[in-house]
Amino acid sequence: MSTSKIMTLSEMVELVPDGASLALGGSFLHRGPFAFVRELIRQSREGLEIVKQSPGYDIDILCRAGCVARARAGIVAMEGNFGLAPWYRRAVEKKEIVLEEHACATLTAGLRAAAYGVPFQPVGGVHGSDLPALNRWASITDPYGSGKDVWVIPAIQPDIAVIHANEVNELGDARVYGTFNWDRIMSRAAKKVFVVAEKLASVASFRERPELTLIPGFMVQAVAVVPNGAWPGSCWPLYEVDYPAVEDYMNTESSLEAHMARAPEIAEPAHA
Amino acid sequence: MREGWSGFAYIVTNLARFIRPGEVTFSGVNSTPAMLACLAAKRAYDFDFVYINVAGGVQPAPSRIPISSSDPVLAEGSTAIFANEDFYDLCTRGGMDLCFLGAAQVDGLGRTNVSSIGDWHNPKVRLPGGGGGAVMLPTARRAVTWRTEHSKRTMVEKLDFVTAAGGMHGVVTPIAVFVKRDGRLALQSWHPEASLDEVRARTGFEFDAAGATPTTLPTTREVEALRSLDPEGQFERDAKVSLR
Repeated sequence: MSTSKIMTLSEMVELVPDGASLALGGSFLHRGPFAFVRELIRQSREGLEIVKQSPGYDIDILCRAGCVARARAGIVAMEGNFGLAPWYRRAVEKKEIVLEEHACATLTAGLRAAAYGVPFQPVGGVHGSDLPALNRWASITDPYGSGKDVWVIPAIQPDIAVIHANEVNELGDARVYGTFNWDRIMSRAAKKVFVVAEKLASVASFRERPELTLIPGFMVQAVAVVPNGAWPGSCWPLYEVDYPAVEDYMNTESSLEAHMARAPEIAEPAHA
Repeated sequence: MREGWSGFAYIVTNLARFIRPGEVTFSGVNSTPAMLACLAAKRAYDFDFVYINVAGGVQPAPSRIPISSSDPVLAEGSTAIFANEDFYDLCTRGGMDLCFLGAAQVDGLGRTNVSSIGDWHNPKVRLPGGGGGAVMLPTARRAVTWRTEHSKRTMVEKLDFVTAAGGMHGVVTPIAVFVKRDGRLALQSWHPEASLDEVRARTGFEFDAAGATPTTLPTTREVEALRSLDPEGQFERDAKVSLR
């Protein structure tokens, strides 16, 4: 007895309220849930919190469209030869969004605290950085007497982790090929998990190789199948970064609407 | 030298020279010169080392050299995927021998700023941010960075913000190689087409230059390794590095 969790991309995004805290999978231009992000823009979501160790195109386009209120991030850039994320940079400099700057591993520590069900999580390093004072992080002395001090990061629990996967089944089980970046800990930390996938696969194929499943379906609330949904980024091993499309996105003389109109999800039934 | 030693090739080659036999060496996001240094070292040197990268690669054999240093192709040919949480944990528990990290500003203690130019709360330029540094710089056994611009605004007396402390073991610019000595960056060598005076004039912090010499010219194998990774000179052109 099972109920399919498959829905259209637009139906999935309708489940996201304004002001939601979203952890976005992937890293920089690689395997991000970019079709989902563009659908947030089409549906005019506002006041979002973006949680991601290494956002780039996703946070930039959301800032460009005015959807973001807050970012909790480690390193933000377009990467490759593109440098800084221009609309994100402008949003921070003009104080249109509030930034909680992390090291990638401190953000991971916060997610781990949420995943482990504890209020905070120790993290290695950080000593001598100005980041703890900025974020009012506490340091505690080893209660077991080593004399070592360790920084502790408060729990970070996103409302929804949105993962772009290679394959999914109707139950929500998801596989990722190549590196899964921080997607695993995001999926364990968030209250809900949405999976956007390149391809629908059979439940039987997951039963044959359960150890390949990154996210078990019982943790997943919504599934959408969007081929090429990580465009203009890559999705290993299916496609590489579409560099001309990213260049066009970065071109200030080219409109956001023109970029959005080229997106592959436009061809999907939800937008027919 | 026949064609001169470009600032770009100088950075990549001198980063590669920090790699030691048998060690675990890491290159991360936004780190094209470090990625090329690791791949070049595999081709230029006879010793083996464990190359891991931010794409999850472990001793990878990528079929092409990507523009993005986090491209998943950098895990092609790997025998394992060692994903982000894994390489951070490896570093904090002391298992990362050499970690290449980016920086916008570096001070004389080898600390880095990648957060903001100007006051953090009122930035003139909002930079990419924390990234690996704050956790990896103090916990890696050695960390090495590079700057494609050597000037008093990149090599500074005082950082606008201390993103990461702990102190770089090495810093490479288009005209100089610094190494940490007694807790401060000291000049190890300068580009043969530059001079000690020029390095001093373009560096914002005081440094010891005892024993510093012109940098040893690249070997034929070092030149060939980089050329094989960048046969069309595309990375060189994209990096837009100049000596002055």
